Amino acid sequence: MTAPARVRRAKADLPAPADRPARRRSAGRLARWDVKFSPYLFVSPYFLLFAAFGAFPMLYTLWVALHDWELVGSRGFVGLANFRMVLTDPQFWNSVWNTAGMFVVATVPQLLLALLLANALNRRMRGQTLLRMGVLAPMVTSVAAVAIVFSQLFSRDFGLVNYVLGWFGVERIDWAAERWSSWLAISVMVDWRWTGYNALIYLAAMQSIPRDLYEAAAIDGASRRRQFWTITLPMLRPTIIFTAIISTIGGFQLFTEPLLFGNGDMAGGSLRQFQTVTMYMFENAFGRFDYGYASAVSWMLFVIILFGSLLNFLWLRRVGGGKA
Amino acid sequence: MPAPHFRRSGAPHGEPPKTSGAHPRPAGRARRRGRLGAGLAAAALVLAAGCGGGGADDGKITLTVDTFSTFGYEELFKQYEAQHPNIRIKHRNVVQLDDYLPRLEKWIAAGRGAGDVVAIEEGILTKFMAQPDRFVNLLDHGAGSLQGNFLDWKWRQALTPDGRYLVGLGTDVGGLAMCYRTDLFAKAGLPTDREKVGELWPTWDAYIATGQRFAAKVKDAKFVDGAVNLYNSMLAQQASQTVGHTYFDPSGKLVAAGNPAVKTAWDTTLKIQRSGLSAGLKSFEPSWGTGLKEARFATIACPSWMLGVIKENAGAAAAGKWDVAAIPGGSGSRGGSFLAVPRGSEHPREAAELAKFLTSPQSQIAAFKARNNLPSSPQALDDPAVKSFRNEYFNNAPVGEIYAGGAKALKPLYLGEDTNPVNQRFEDALLAVEQDKLTPDAAWTKALADAEREAR
Amino acid sequence: MIVINSRRPRRRRGGTLATLWGAGPLTRITLAATIAASVFPLYWMLVVATRTNDVVGSVPPPVVPGGELGRNLARLFGDEQARFGLGLVNSAIAASAVTVSTLLFASLAGFAFAKLRFRGRNGLLLVMLATMMVPVQMGIIPLYMLMAEIGWTGKLQAVIVPFLVTGFGVFMMRQYTMQALPDELIEAARIDGCSTWRIYWSVVLPVLRPAMAVLGLFTFMQTWNEFIWPLAVLDPDNPTVQYSLNLLNGSYYTDYSLMFTGTAVSTLPLLVIFLLCGRQLIGGIMDGALKA
Repeated sequence: MTAPARVRRAKADLPAPADRPARRRSAGRLARWDVKFSPYLFVSPYFLLFAAFGAFPMLYTLWVALHDWELVGSRGFVGLANFRMVLTDPQFWNSVWNTAGMFVVATVPQLLLALLLANALNRRMRGQTLLRMGVLAPMVTSVAAVAIVFSQLFSRDFGLVNYVLGWFGVERIDWAAERWSSWLAISVMVDWRWTGYNALIYLAAMQSIPRDLYEAAAIDGASRRRQFWTITLPMLRPTIIFTAIISTIGGFQLFTEPLLFGNGDMAGGSLRQFQTVTMYMFENAFGRFDYGYASAVSWMLFVIILFGSLLNFLWLRRVGGGKA
Repeated sequence: MPAPHFRRSGAPHGEPPKTSGAHPRPAGRARRRGRLGAGLAAAALVLAAGCGGGGADDGKITLTVDTFSTFGYEELFKQYEAQHPNIRIKHRNVVQLDDYLPRLEKWIAAGRGAGDVVAIEEGILTKFMAQPDRFVNLLDHGAGSLQGNFLDWKWRQALTPDGRYLVGLGTDVGGLAMCYRTDLFAKAGLPTDREKVGELWPTWDAYIATGQRFAAKVKDAKFVDGAVNLYNSMLAQQASQTVGHTYFDPSGKLVAAGNPAVKTAWDTTLKIQRSGLSAGLKSFEPSWGTGLKEARFATIACPSWMLGVIKENAGAAAAGKWDVAAIPGGSGSRGGSFLAVPRGSEHPREAAELAKFLTSPQSQIAAFKARNNLPSSPQALDDPAVKSFRNEYFNNAPVGEIYAGGAKALKPLYLGEDTNPVNQRFEDALLAVEQDKLTPDAAWTKALADAEREAR
Repeated sequence: MIVINSRRPRRRRGGTLATLWGAGPLTRITLAATIAASVFPLYWMLVVATRTNDVVGSVPPPVVPGGELGRNLARLFGDEQARFGLGLVNSAIAASAVTVSTLLFASLAGFAFAKLRFRGRNGLLLVMLATMMVPVQMGIIPLYMLMAEIGWTGKLQAVIVPFLVTGFGVFMMRQYTMQALPDELIEAARIDGCSTWRIYWSVVLPVLRPAMAVLGLFTFMQTWNEFIWPLAVLDPDNPTVQYSLNLLNGSYYTDYSLMFTGTAVSTLPLLVIFLLCGRQLIGGIMDGALKA
């Protein structure tokens, strides 16, 4: 956060000619080593940390998935039995359906809205800073806080949402009871929090689009809407792919919102109408204490996310019609 | 690779960890405590470096106590520290049992992280009883002589079948009563005196009839909070009065479908719900708490530990408006806990002493006064301080007499390993009926099928 | 907001831009509605936080703040179970540490992936992309076992060290570097005899500043707001602020005014940082090396 001043100083002495000769002398081997090994040095922190805290736990999970593994209790090797069971488990597929459904209900409008919002924020108007602060405010609120506040707002008997709907003659809705209503309530929480985030990413990307492109288009008589379609969108393609993939990953890991929406119930409603895959994994781990099965579920989740992201990527690339 | 890993981390399959060298040395503990003081302090110093527990700088032993909800121990801790200058007590409380259980399982499995004394709720105890060696055998610490301080069945719940291993000491039991709002009863033209109210409903059918009288007069409140709390109380009642188990028989077999107690509780609950008497609130959810505060229902099935919950939720504005009467259909036991010392404790002797102190009849009386947790000790139940105790908030109801009176006649319930998840499936099915998403018959079929899945 | 302000000088230079980027009424209405929707839940949080618990569920609901904030704050920080003050301090430490290291490691790796040639680059990049797909929750159980093994459960480093850099950060930096940093600039620096580190420090970092500001803010917020992992690995006597929040939320007794005060207080530091960083960056960020 305090970088700017230092960076500027560093930049100021970039072409410092004084130390050039000295460097030239020792150049040769050192420079070659530098070019050869620096890249590995630069990427190594990520891979080392990931190996220790990402890959190891993941592989360990695979090992656990091959066992009938209770946290307290038996630990027999069962081979692929857990995976076979997952594939024929209606509760698992129910959670997949819910997760996918909520992902679509939440993400599609969210990204569209974010794009629209970024475009609007990119305009020049008075009170910009205030406007942008307002739009981005939800981001600074934690998932826990969002879930606490929104669950109260969506409460059947004492919630503000039903109270306001009552003005229009709508009967009290039991938001948690039905599939559609629970999905909607949870999607509202997700979108409320993340639309600003995505808008900010789009905005950052929009800002880096060279202005002369627009100026040239304006001179050619292109309308603002047309400029958006022919310049902004294509230039944003890498960013859109980026946010879509991130949303896929985030969407399929949806957990805290539905969990707190159901007041901590890992089954996600009376008929599991809003139980996500991650919740199902947790239910098996912490409700049934069946870690072997929970691990198998988490690997299935991994495969689904991988598959979903890949599909997403290919589709967007095709729609975009070019290199991402 | 993982298994040896795990064993080393302190989940001992066999020998206990060598800590203060204090392991099985029965008898004479009171005197030895003083002698061991210095040595233990040194041991604590050494161990503190290894586990980062800290707090050994002044030579004191820190004992961590893990509890959930409300145990009413605050004053007792102060008292114990005053009597034992070398002991410092650190209390960690987690409000929700649902948060507490996975954490406890994790700690016990890893062999570290748990406090020196942990509270174990009866629903999870059965599971731990299958691996008693994860806990300190309290019989090794002279608890054997205390058997007479506990209701017999409470004592035996935490004892292995061969009688050689005692995992925990009982804290409380859950007697049953029915709480009701006097102001709403008056509005409905019903009697408000607790004796007369009890006489209104000797049976659950009479309870329904009373509810219908109530519903005819009062429109802005329902008769009962919701199906879930009603069912849980009724199940405990029916099961303890008849077969003595709920979803699992003592051999561990799932018998939900064939146990008449389950079916009776289910049918009666839904009969009440179908009569339009339920506010449709799920117990312990935020809106249930708000419902209590807003007086949206007139009665609620009331295990003794529920009194504190009602008081906190309904708030000062409702002081004196709630009262306690007998529950329809006779008494039963619902809920109750134990204190145990996990094997990972570095001070098993001191921890065992503390657990014994906290579960002594005198302490149980103190906890009852603080939080209305009904003692599991017959001496405490007989004690005039308990028997004559009145709860000011509940219109000065003689809760000591109401709960303690029948407590010794309580019959134990056997709960199988998977009782918690199975019960949640039954609650879900009831909720689905309340939400008009399933017919009672479909819900029953579904609950049984889901129970099979949980018990797998 | 940060990024935008950095571009102001250039915008002034472009003569036609004022008309080109003006806002129509539709834009204004969209923004007004969005902002109302964005701010309302926060406002509602404030309303409940400044009243007693009795207002929740009352009809009609209160719409203006009350005068109970002081008492609620006293109750919040006096709550022995929740340890809210300690939670705030712990979260501040954890979030700062994670942010600084993420910015450094992610920009380094992002730069290497975007602009440096080395054997196995594409392979490693693919591996990294794949690692991003790993659900965080998937590792919680074994990660917990690992933490228990090295004795970190209940300690603050357990919520810091595993998150010192994320695939997300690396990928974001890589994408941005590709977009914003012309190859010629690096080649020019190489010809000038700059080492790779120096190129990173003097050429890449200045260009990356806008994206780093965003990544830094997100990382800080994410760490500050992390919920599940602290809940799993920490103990109630050494919580982060979100954990404290959860400790306030008892299922046996729901005190909304206390909980909402907690959520408000836990959100406040982020709002302040948001404002502070904005101002700093407005003054500090000039046009990047692109136009220098």
